Amino acid sequence: MSALAASVRDAGVSLKRLPRGEWGTPLLLATLIVVDVSIQPALLDVTQIGLLIQTALVAVLLATAQTLAVLTRGVDLSVGSVLVVTDVLTATKLGGLEGDRLALLPLVLAAGAAIGLLNGALIAYGGLEPFVATLATWAIFDGVALLVLPTDGGAPPQQLTNLAIGETAGIPNSYIGLALVLLAWLALRRSPLGVRALAIGSDAERAFLNGINVRRTKLIVYALGGFVAGIAGVYLAASTSTGVPTAGDGLLLPSLAAVVIGGTSLAGGRGGVGLSVMGVFVLVFIGDLVAALQLPSWVATVASAAMLLIVVSLRSLPQVLARKETA
Amino acid sequence: MTRLLPRRLPATAVAFVVFGLLFAFATIRSPDFASASHIRQLLVFASFVGFAALGQTLVILGGGLDLSVPWVMALGGIQLSIWTGDGMSSALGVVLLVLVGAGIGTISGLGVTALRIPPIVMTIGMGGLVLGYLMRVGLGSSTAASAPAAAERLVNDTLLGLPLIAYVWLAFALAAAWLLRRTGFGRALYATGANETVARLAGSRVAAVRVAAYAASGAASAFAGILLSGYVGQTYLNMGAPYLFSSIAAVAVGGASVLGGSGSYWGTVAGACTLTVLAALLPTFNLDAAWLNIVYGLVILLAVGVNRIAARGVAA
Repeated sequence: MSALAASVRDAGVSLKRLPRGEWGTPLLLATLIVVDVSIQPALLDVTQIGLLIQTALVAVLLATAQTLAVLTRGVDLSVGSVLVVTDVLTATKLGGLEGDRLALLPLVLAAGAAIGLLNGALIAYGGLEPFVATLATWAIFDGVALLVLPTDGGAPPQQLTNLAIGETAGIPNSYIGLALVLLAWLALRRSPLGVRALAIGSDAERAFLNGINVRRTKLIVYALGGFVAGIAGVYLAASTSTGVPTAGDGLLLPSLAAVVIGGTSLAGGRGGVGLSVMGVFVLVFIGDLVAALQLPSWVATVASAAMLLIVVSLRSLPQVLARKETA
Repeated sequence: MTRLLPRRLPATAVAFVVFGLLFAFATIRSPDFASASHIRQLLVFASFVGFAALGQTLVILGGGLDLSVPWVMALGGIQLSIWTGDGMSSALGVVLLVLVGAGIGTISGLGVTALRIPPIVMTIGMGGLVLGYLMRVGLGSSTAASAPAAAERLVNDTLLGLPLIAYVWLAFALAAAWLLRRTGFGRALYATGANETVARLAGSRVAAVRVAAYAASGAASAFAGILLSGYVGQTYLNMGAPYLFSSIAAVAVGGASVLGGSGSYWGTVAGACTLTVLAALLPTFNLDAAWLNIVYGLVILLAVGVNRIAARGVAA
């Protein structure tokens, strides 16, 4: 284990500090918050912030799943399709006319993990590139969701809805949800699995030489990603009280944008869920500002896409320039 | 002339054999499948996939991927109907939109080459910008914009029993084959997709050919969107959505490596025809449209798997 930790350090990975030059995102987020709050001071309220987190939580969970894939030098294009599968299952199998069957919730969550497991198996054991494998499962499970529920509808159990939008001891449950995501990441990052995943992302060959089972680690990481994206689907169905089989359509872009804006390296091995959560809130506050300024909704779409392209350009510029110098 | 016909055997030939077998199966199942009117209809459908996958083929051969195809397609259809509604001639509109598509592709290509942004991130970002623009123009008009007359004629009128679009597609297929087989651009594109560093050291203009491939993808997608709007008779935001999967699936079924460096546009043509026949077969099995996505996904997995095993066999 210590040899492994040393190799991770050698590869330029610090698990504790923010990567160098990564203060841009916190500054950007702080600026957006200050501007947003100064425009609408009413936002500074426990309930209001709770609602903001509630709308952000789906994106937070999807960005978490995306971050796990990216950290291992992969990508998960299927996060939106996992979300719609568990979304429609929650709306049709857990709730519905014959009453609630909350006992089946673990099965719904297992369905998300199973799709992730399939991704991981195709990538780690099938030898497919992550983008090919997850592109295919994206198509397949978008179709599966439409089979389960052809049009918007269904009825998620009321208890789940209460849990999603309710509060505990005066604190909106969305705070607790966000805190749980961050705590889970902190635990994972320090766990052997997290260390292995980061080691694979920074240098898979070296990780292999250090005795890490690269294939099994990737399998578990993608399965975990599917599980987390599946929770996002359950939460979406519960908090909106309905099932929408096409709800995942626009969610891939924000999940990637949050990872990139947060600062997790697309080359793998550096970054984390904490950064991506900041990335999500950058996008959330942009959307909130657009609404507060009564601008049309397309402005938020353009701003998110532009933010993704600008930030990814700025991050790759130093490397491009360094390459020019050495060339 | 013979040199422009499929030369990259056996992958392209296998793709055509697969298509032939599937078509024969469909005809046995329902004899009407091979009727002249149904074949005309299938050709029109296949040409949409064929054009959406034309640029995708070039991008994938060069080692990239274009995920902005659906939004550039929607842009082609929607913007043309807006322009022609304002009195612009549709010929001018088509030319301008193909150029706009090429411009969008050029930006994607520059991001991928000059800034080294991963193709997936770059093309999703560009797709998001186009989507934002479409949401803006869509808010102005409450009704679905109608399709331009020129696009309707291309897909509805026939010449010697075949739809006009089939001849246009054939012309583009021959042009693409010439470009890939007989020009320095084609050789450089294959070399880049196979191994970028080696290609660069060998003197290929790696960045230029990759940018050109993305530009071609943007142009072809915009054109495909115009054709689609002509067939459907109206335009809407999600009109291009199925073509993200089908354009990539057509390339994979056509025997190209999804990692770049090997494949042909003739293979993609066979892939587009195969997918179209598959889609037309689904209702005969009482499978609804939801199955289309599932089939596309399974086909991508199957084609990529078979290609890998075939490539391993050749290498061994």
